[in-house]
Amino acid sequence: MDLTEKLVSGKGNFVDDINMPGMLHLSFVRSPYARAKILRIKGGITWKDVDLKMASVGEGATKGFEYLEHPVLAKDYVGYVGQPVAAVYADSPYEAEDLAETSVEVDYEPLKAIVDPEMSLTAEPMYPGLKSNLLADKYLGADFEIKDAPVIIEDRFVNHRIATDPIEPRGIVAAYDGNRLTVWVSTQSVHSLKEGFCEIMHLEPESVRVIQTDTGGAFGLKGGIYPEYIVAAYLAMREKRPVKWIETRREHLLASRPGRGVVGKMKLYADRTGKILGIKGDVIVDSGAFAGGSGEFSARFIAMQLTGPYEIKNAYIHAMSVLTNKVPQGPYRGAGRPEAAFFIERMVDRLADELEMDPVEIRLKNATTAPYVSPTGLTVEASKPFLESAVKAMGYHDHVRKGNTGFGWFVLVPATMPGETARILVDGGTVKVWLGGNAHGQRHDLFVRSILSDELGIDPSVVEWQKGDTDQLEDGVGAWGSRSAMMGGSALVEAARKLRKEVENKYGKYSPQKLLEGKWDSYEFFHYDKPYNNLGANLITVHQDDLGVIHVRECISYYDLGKVLNMDNVIGQNAGGCAEGIGQTLYEGLMFDENGQMMTSSIADAGVVTADLVPRYKLLLHKSESSLPSRAKGLGEAPTIGTPVALARAIEVATGLRIRETPINPEYLLSAKKFH
Amino acid sequence: MMPPAFEYMAPTDVDEAIDLLNRYGDDAKILAGGQSLLPLLKSRITSIPYLISLSEVKDISYITDGKNSLKIGAMTLDADLEYSPTVRKNFPILSDALGQLADPLVRNMGTVGGNLSHGDPSNDLPSVMLALDATFKIRGKSGEREVHSRDFYMDTFVTALEHGEILTEISVPYWPAASGGAYVKFRKGTWNFSVAGVAVQLQLDNEIVKKAGIAITSMGPTALKASEAENYLKGKKLTAENVRHAAELVVAASQPSSDSYGSVEYKKEILRRISVQAIKKAQTRAEVK
Repeated sequence: MDLTEKLVSGKGNFVDDINMPGMLHLSFVRSPYARAKILRIKGGITWKDVDLKMASVGEGATKGFEYLEHPVLAKDYVGYVGQPVAAVYADSPYEAEDLAETSVEVDYEPLKAIVDPEMSLTAEPMYPGLKSNLLADKYLGADFEIKDAPVIIEDRFVNHRIATDPIEPRGIVAAYDGNRLTVWVSTQSVHSLKEGFCEIMHLEPESVRVIQTDTGGAFGLKGGIYPEYIVAAYLAMREKRPVKWIETRREHLLASRPGRGVVGKMKLYADRTGKILGIKGDVIVDSGAFAGGSGEFSARFIAMQLTGPYEIKNAYIHAMSVLTNKVPQGPYRGAGRPEAAFFIERMVDRLADELEMDPVEIRLKNATTAPYVSPTGLTVEASKPFLESAVKAMGYHDHVRKGNTGFGWFVLVPATMPGETARILVDGGTVKVWLGGNAHGQRHDLFVRSILSDELGIDPSVVEWQKGDTDQLEDGVGAWGSRSAMMGGSALVEAARKLRKEVENKYGKYSPQKLLEGKWDSYEFFHYDKPYNNLGANLITVHQDDLGVIHVRECISYYDLGKVLNMDNVIGQNAGGCAEGIGQTLYEGLMFDENGQMMTSSIADAGVVTADLVPRYKLLLHKSESSLPSRAKGLGEAPTIGTPVALARAIEVATGLRIRETPINPEYLLSAKKFH
Repeated sequence: MMPPAFEYMAPTDVDEAIDLLNRYGDDAKILAGGQSLLPLLKSRITSIPYLISLSEVKDISYITDGKNSLKIGAMTLDADLEYSPTVRKNFPILSDALGQLADPLVRNMGTVGGNLSHGDPSNDLPSVMLALDATFKIRGKSGEREVHSRDFYMDTFVTALEHGEILTEISVPYWPAASGGAYVKFRKGTWNFSVAGVAVQLQLDNEIVKKAGIAITSMGPTALKASEAENYLKGKKLTAENVRHAAELVVAASQPSSDSYGSVEYKKEILRRISVQAIKKAQTRAEVK
C-alpha cells in the first residue's frame, strides 16, 4: 500500500497507536502564571524526583547557558504559563487527567511578568546574577556612516509568535527492560533525541534506543527534546512499565516551542536612482524564559541574511535574543529565513514606493551580477540573471498590469552542515534504506526510490524506506532546514555508489541481479561543512472584498531546485509551504496579554489554514543542478520565505495600507481608505 | 482532552429522559449531538456527572410540513435540515445559516434542538428563528408548553428552559408569498465562531415591506432581535437610503464587546455591512417568489 494511502486511511502506526500491557499514562500539572515563585509543591512527581536540566540538541542547538537551561520540572520558579511543574500517572489517560486536576497542590507567589521583547531590553534582569535580559548579543557587519544619503527610510516590523501546529501533536512511549531505555517517538531526528536522553539523564549511548513512529507533521517542533519526554523516560525506568504521554492541542499551543516572535527595526540608505547604499538594523528575538530554544541562534542567523539577494556594500546589524516570560522559542519551518526576508523585502518595497519605481526594477538595480559575500556573511550567487528569468517566467508585468500583485524573492540558506548519513541494506531481494534525518510527512520514500533506481538500476518497488531507529543507523543529523534532498540524498547516492563498487569488485562487473541476489550493507556519512544557498521567488495576486477580507487568488513559485529528485515531493513541499506562508501572513499567531497569559490557547484563536483558503498554485522551476552528489538544492522552507513577502506586498497594493506585522489584523485591513 | 468521568444514559422516550433529569437534578444535563457539550467536557471547562443522551429517542427527529408551519423535531440533524427540500424551497434563510454552521463534520452530528437550546450567542440558528418568528415546544414533568423564540433567550447559556424540561419541537410559521430571507455570517475561517451574523426575513407587497424579521448573532449576551429595524422597514420601500438606515438600526440593537475577534467599532462596522448585504439578498429572494 502506498504510504500516503496508508496514513490517511487510518492504517498508520502513530505514537498514540502504541499500546502495551501495563502501560502508564502521564499527565502534567503546569504553571498558571507567566512568572512566579513556587512556595510549595505537594503531590505528584516533582523536581525532587527528577532534578535534571534540559540540554539543547537538534536544530539550532546552542551550548553555554547551563545555568539558564530549562529545568525538567520547575523547582522554585516558573517562567511561563504552561511550564511543567509536576507530573502524575495512572492506568488510563482519563484517570491521569483527573489526578492532574485533583492530586497536586502548588502555592505560587506571582511576580510581574516580562512579556514584550523590546521592553525586556530595559527591564530588570529576569534572574539574579544577570546584568540584562540578553541571551545573545552580537553585531554583524561593520559600522558605517553615509553622510547626506538622498533617501533614508526607517521602519519596524514584527512577525508574531506562531504555533508549529502539526496535525499530530508531540508524543512518546518509553519502556525500560532493566538495561536499556527504548522510546518510540514522533520525531524529525532519532539521533538528536538519543543525544538528548544521554546528556540530560546521564545515560550511556548503548543503553538508549530511539525509534521513530509514523510522524504526522513536525515543521521544526519535533527536532528537539522536551521535559515531558524526560519525565516519561524517568517514570518508565522507575516503574519498569511502559509510559505514554500524548500532548493535547492546548498543551501544544501553550507549552511546546513556537516559532517566529521576532522584531526587526530597519534603516535603509539609498540614492535616488534606487541603489541601496547601506542598511542598519536591530533584530530582536523573543526567546522565552530559558536558554536552549532556538532564540540564541536565530537572532544572529536572521541578521546574517538581512542583505538578501542584494549587493549591499554596507551593513551593520545588532542581533539580540532576549528573555521573556514565555515558553522558549523553537524553530518553525523557515526558522529565521522568513523573518530576514520579510524585513529586507518590506524595506525594498518601501524604497520602491518612495522613489515611485517598480518594485522589480529596484530589485534588478540592486541584484548581484557576480557571486557575492555580503558584509553580514551571506553568500549569494549572481542573483540578477535569476531575477530576470523569474520575472519573465512568472509573467510579472502582465500580473502587475492586472493589479493587486506582490513579488518577493530571497536567498534560501539550507542547513547543510555537517552533512548527513545513509545506510542501504540489501537482503533477500529487498533494499532497505535509512536516512539520518527522519521524514515527518515529506515522503522521503519517494526520492529514496528515485535515487536508488537511477544509481543501481533496480526496480523502485524493491526499495523499502525505513523510519528512524538508532539501532539501525549509528548516527545521523535530522530532517530540517531544507536539507534532506541535498544532504540525505547525497549520502544515499554515495552509499549506493559504494555498493556498486563492492559488487563490481566481487563480480568484475555491476549488475542489479548480482546486487539483489547478495547480502550487502553500505553506510555513508556525507560530510559537508559549507553553505550551499539557492534563490527563489514568489508572486501572489489577491482580492479584497467588501468586508476587508483578503482572498489569495494565485500563488506562483519560481525556485532553483537543482535536480528534481521526485516531482511529487516538490509539489507537496511547495503546496504545504505556501499554505503555511499564507497562514503566517493572514491567519495564524500566538498572542499574549500584559500578564503573559496566552489569548490564543485554542486552535480557533491561534488560527489555521483550511482548504477553502488555499489559492491556485503554479510552480515553475529554474533548473541548474547543484554540484552535490544528489544534484539537488534546497526547497522545504522556500515557500514559507517567499509567500509572506509576496503576499504582504500584494495586500499593500490592494489596500493602500503598509504591512508591517504578521499575522495582519483583519481590523487593520478594514481601515483601508477605499472603505471610508 | 479527556473528559472527567460521567454516567451516560440513553433513554428511549422523552418522558423517561425528563424523569432522569428530575432524578439527578443539577448534576444532569441533556446530551443532544454533543458538538458543544463534549468540547466543554473534554477541555474540562465544565463537568457533568450525568449525561442523558437523546440519541435513542426516535420520535423527535423529523421535518414535517404542517398546515401553517414547518415542524422540526429537536433531534433533527443540522445536516438533514440543511438538505431538506422543503427548507431549501421555503426557508433559504435557514439553508444559508445551516450551510455556514461550523463545518460539515459538526453538522453531521449536531442537532437543531441542541444548537437552539445551548444558549450560546454565537450559535447561528437562534437568530434565524428569531427572524422567522418561530415557536418552541417544551416538555416537562407537568406537560407541554409553547414559548415564542423572542421569549426564549434570557442570557448567555440561559434560556426559558426550566430544569427538567426538554425542547422537543420547533415550529416555523410559513411566510406568505413574496417573502424571502437571508443569513449572512462573517468569520475569520471555518474553524472560528463568527464576528457577527445577521438573519433577515422580509415580506414584500409591491416593493413595500409588509413585514420584516431581523436578528443578530455573536453581538451580545444572546441572539438579539433588532425590533427597531424591523419596525422601521415596515411600510417602506427598500431604497438604498432606507436599507442603510435599517442597517444602522440593526447596529444600534447590537451589544458587542471587545475581544480577540475585534474591537466594538470593528464588529459594528462588519455588522453594518453584512446587514446591508442580508437585506438586499432577502429582497432579491422575496421578489423572485
